[in-house]
Parts: sequence; structure tokens; C-alpha cells
Amino acid sequence: MITRRIGRFFDERLGSNAWARTAFAKIYPDHWSFYLGEFALYCFIVLVGTGIWLTFVFDATEAGAFDSVVALGRGEPIGYFMRQVHHWSAVVFIAAIIVHMGRIFFTAAYRKPREINWVIGILMLMLASITGFTGYSLPDDALSGTGLRIADSVLMSIPFVGGWAAGVLNGGSYPGPLLIPHLYTFHVYYLPVSIAGLLAVHLALLVYQKHTQFVRDAAHVVGRRFWPDYALRTLAAFFATVAVVFVLGTLIEINPIEQYGRYRDYVITNPATPDWYAGWLDGALRLGPAIEWKIFGHPIPAIFWPGIVLPGLTFALVVAWPWIDKFLTGRDVATDVLVPASAAPWRVGFGAALITAGVVLTLAASDDQQARTLHVKVTALVWLYRILFAFGSVAVGFIAALFARELRARYDERGKEAERVVALVRTEKGGFEEEKPAAEPATPL
Amino acid sequence: MKSAALVVAILAALVCVIVTALHASPALLGGFAALCAAGVAVAAGAAAVDLRAPDDLTELRHMRGPTSAPPLPDDVLSRRGVFGRLWWLTFASFGLLAVVPLIALGRRPRRTGTAWFKGARLVTPQGRPLKADDLVVGAVETVFPEGKTESPESAALLVRVENDRLQLPAGRGDWARQGNVAYSKVCTHAGCPVALYRKASHELYCPCHQSVFDVLGGAKPVSGPATRALPQLALDVDRDGYLIARGDFTDPVGPDEWWRTI
Repeated sequence: MITRRIGRFFDERLGSNAWARTAFAKIYPDHWSFYLGEFALYCFIVLVGTGIWLTFVFDATEAGAFDSVVALGRGEPIGYFMRQVHHWSAVVFIAAIIVHMGRIFFTAAYRKPREINWVIGILMLMLASITGFTGYSLPDDALSGTGLRIADSVLMSIPFVGGWAAGVLNGGSYPGPLLIPHLYTFHVYYLPVSIAGLLAVHLALLVYQKHTQFVRDAAHVVGRRFWPDYALRTLAAFFATVAVVFVLGTLIEINPIEQYGRYRDYVITNPATPDWYAGWLDGALRLGPAIEWKIFGHPIPAIFWPGIVLPGLTFALVVAWPWIDKFLTGRDVATDVLVPASAAPWRVGFGAALITAGVVLTLAASDDQQARTLHVKVTALVWLYRILFAFGSVAVGFIAALFARELRARYDERGKEAERVVALVRTEKGGFEEEKPAAEPATPL
Repeated sequence: MKSAALVVAILAALVCVIVTALHASPALLGGFAALCAAGVAVAAGAAAVDLRAPDDLTELRHMRGPTSAPPLPDDVLSRRGVFGRLWWLTFASFGLLAVVPLIALGRRPRRTGTAWFKGARLVTPQGRPLKADDLVVGAVETVFPEGKTESPESAALLVRVENDRLQLPAGRGDWARQGNVAYSKVCTHAGCPVALYRKASHELYCPCHQSVFDVLGGAKPVSGPATRALPQLALDVDRDGYLIARGDFTDPVGPDEWWRTI
């Protein structure tokens, strides 16, 4: 009753019913892997919700930040709960983005005409990581403060402009009195608003260009109607995401800053490892060679290569991937049909190699703890991970490509077997004849 | 099933409110909040399954492009003609203008050394001055210049080692006092505090990226990603027997950057 009246209110003024009818009847292709991006979206919603609450209790000053977060953990249960859920959602958010990205990659959904959404997605991953890092740093504890110091050193290592860039962030030398306020503004304003804007474009493009599908029907979208079928499913996905981050936030303590203490530039925790999504960068800093070059008497610090060049090249490679794919396959037609991952072993191999390299770097970020547990030397692990990074990733990629090729061969075999089943059709004369099998569409790369 | 799940969700939401009102534990609050969300998720999921709606409905796909006509007719902003070119040049100039405020934002005071000065007593972070015999051999203490504790970049590590085992670099032979040596605590790799000391091997160890420095030999890096030794503080003893610095670090403290000349 009440929804009907609201609907009528808008319809009389905007003629919205016609539009709403189309929107509710719109068909969305359905597959379990299409929900991965939704999990990320719903984490973002939880983050904004808990984040707004936290802005009312957080003291964004150099002097008060740490105490206000510690007080949060010791006061009302809701405060502890909100902070835990906020941090856990951030951790799950980035994981969901990366898994979603993996699905897009291995099914080649990034190809024309969806390169724009691929690039927007990568941008959101970068922004989400930076938002996560700034949020992790806001409590001004010994662990995150050291992480900030490392980030400051990495920024400073950029030739010529590094000191300037670090100066912008700190409002002076490290740790400037404006560092926490600057991080705060970035964390609650520039970064999330940018993510929200990109997210809006991402979703609008998804609706406008229509979702990809596995069904090989190029002319039609094949799937479920939005209302009520798909709406109920996505509602379930939303509340399931909420339930998961609530359970994680309740059961597993994350970032207990009161145990680390307030940041001072001569105090540090041991071990010192960042949140998981920054692990690959920390691991790269640990594996990077101890080489400092000089150009015209100016040093290029060792951290410049693993800290700036490596992530820069990685993101450039990933952003450029749709065009690399186009170059490799020579394919320049718009397509809406997804391929099974095994259709292109070279893509599987490349993706597996990239994932392996990332996992190796992430593992390297806790090499000291592994060395202690396994009673081996850290230097031995460093060399092991260096070798795994350079060669192990290639080997894993090669093996994955071989697996994919085998899968594709089996898939093709099955197709041949199916052809032996003969369908009969009536002829005009009243007899039977074998139905000509429809031509199998060529496997797209 | 669906209704039962929704009832659970409603009850759990009510319990959440009560738990918050009673200031009960975060675990209770979180548990019931999660139960509430899970209830709705189960109800919605079950409802979706119960619909038994077809998943092969179809809708026509429209090609979104390419369209044939260019978006703009020829106009004043096209590159043709002097006026058109000037327009683009003006836009570019405005872009360049934005660099000016950006440069101003990043103005960063040049680091002019640390807080150490000639004659400064070595004190603990709590401000207690140290004598040459205060540390036993194998002990280590974070020290600051007296009156300037917690000054940025100024933390140093005072390590007491066996005096006869020191092999300091040339010219630093008298920088130690009775086996007391002091090095900057700021790692030359990425700026972390070099907080760990392994006394058996006389090595300082950075917990961030595992750079290891040799205390006996002037804190040169022996493994890990650091490329430069930790700067050493020249020590002396004043009339009252307290350890003092003979000046600031002579090498730059902390990680290197483009503008830092070594």
C-alpha cells in the first residue's frame, strides 16, 4: 500500500513507472562467479556505514588519534564492534575485488567493449588499497606508524620529485604534525568519494553495456529477471556479506593497537608485517637487492626499485592487459560471450604466473617469522623467495597453461562424442533422415 | 524456513538493542548482529530458490557502437585556424598554472642534522644519563641527547661490547668508550627503528626488512636490503663520568633520497 503510494507520487511527477517497469524486468545473466563483484560492493557499503559512525568518535589529530581509538576498544561494546567490522570489511573488500578481477581475467570479460570497466576496476583496486592503508595508519600506533615511515621513505626514493611528494603528504618533514589530519582527509573524503564515483560509473556501464554471459547466444542476454528473482539473490548476497564480516569482526581480533602502543619513531613491534593486501609490497622491499646506484652524484635508493618501479610496472601491465590481449590475439570485435578459462591456455598461464608472483611476495613479507618457526636462516628464505619470484612464477604459469590445454582437449573430445548421438527428423516423403548437426561455433580465444 | 529465518532475524535485532542498552560484551552484540544478517540472507536466498524462476529468459542485446556521425559539427574549438589553436593552448596553460600551487604544497624543510650536539649527554628515553659502566657487556639501550628526548631522527642505540673486539673503520678508533659504541637507530634502508640486537653475533637487526648491521665493524650492513652503514656517534666521557657525544652524526641519518649527498 505504502510502496504503491510512493510509486504513484514519483510517477505523477516523473513518469517513473515506465522506467521502473523496464528496470524491474531487465534480464541479468546468472552464474555464481558473477556475485564476486557484488561481495566487494557490499563490503564497501558496510565500510561506509561503519566508517561514518567511526568519524564521530575518532580524534583526527596527532595528539589524540591513538587515545581515541584505544578508548573505543575499552568503552561501549558497539565501539569495539564497529572498529573490528570496519577493519575486517576492508580486508575482505580488497580480497573480493581481487577475486572478482580474477574471474574477469580468466573468462576474458575485459575484452572489447568492456575495457573501460576493466580500467575503472583496477583504479578502484588501487584506491581501495590506499584507502585501506591510510585507515590502517590513522590510529597512530607503533606498527602502522612504522608502515607510514616506510611509505614515506619509499615516496622519498623517487628521483628528483620524491622529497616534494613526501612533503605534500606530511606537511613538512616526517612525521609532520599534519600527517594524521592529511591521512584522515584522504581516508574519509578524497579516496572513498573517488571510489564511490568510479563505482557509480562501473555499475552504470554494466547496466548500459549489459552483463557478459557464458551462454553462446550473441544476440540475446540470457538470464534471470531482476524482480523478484535476481533482487532476492543479490539481497541474500548482501546480507551474507554483512553476516560474514560481522562474524569475523566478532570472533577474530584485528590490529590490537593497544598492545603495540603509541607510535614513536624509535619504537617498533616485532614482528612487523602490514595488512595482507600490502604484504606484496613489503615482501618486495625485503627481497629487493641491496644496490644503490648513483646518477650524477644523486643516489637512487635501493627501495625505489621494489617500492615504486615494481608496483608501477605491475599496475601498468594490468591496466594495459586488454590491449595486450588484443595485440596477442589480433581480435578487435565486441563480444558479450565469456570463454571458459581453459579456452586460452596462454591466458591461464599468464594469470597463474602473476598470481604466483604476488603470493611469493606476500609470503616473503613474513619471512622472519617463518625463519623463526622453521629454524632456518632469513637469508636462505630471501634467496628461496627471490628464486620463486623469478622462476617459480614462470614454472607455475607454464604448468597451469599445460593443464588448461589438457582440459581444453578433453572438452573438445566430449564435443566429438556428443556428435555421435544422431537426431532424426521426418523427411517430406514421410521417412526419417539424420539431422545435420549445427556447426559448432569456433572456440574463441 | 523463510519465515523462521526472518523471525530469527527480528529476534536477533531486538537482542542487539537490548545488549547495547545493557553494555554487554562486544561478542554478544556481534554474534546477534551477525545472526540477524544471516537470518535475512537465508530468508532471501530461500525465497529466491522457492521462486523456481527460469534462468534462461532472454532479452535482445543492442550493439552500442560504433555510431556513424561525429559528435560535434565543426565549431570554433576545432584545431583549425589561429583562434581554435589558441583555445587549446590556453587550456594547456591553465593546466601548467595548476603546477604552481602543487609545488608550493610540497615545500619541505631541509633536514639539518639531528638533535645531537657536542657535549650532549646520552640519556635514556626517560631522561636518565648513562655512565660508561652502566651497561654490562652485551646490553643495549636507546639513547637521546639530554634535554631532547624523542627528537625526530635522533634516536641512537648505545651498545656495550668487549672493547678489544671492536674493529671500527679507520679514523674512528677513538669513537668508542670502554666498549660503548653508539649508532643511529634509524635504518638506512626504509627508516624503521633498528630495534633488535643479537649479542652472540654482535649484530643489530631491523624487524621491518631484516637488514643486519655489524656492531663491531662500524655498523656496516652485512645482510638484508640496506646499502649503507648506520651512522656512528662519536663518544666521550665528561668530567662526571657520563657518556657524551662529541658532535652530531657525521653521516646523514635515515634512508637516502635524490637530494641527499653522501
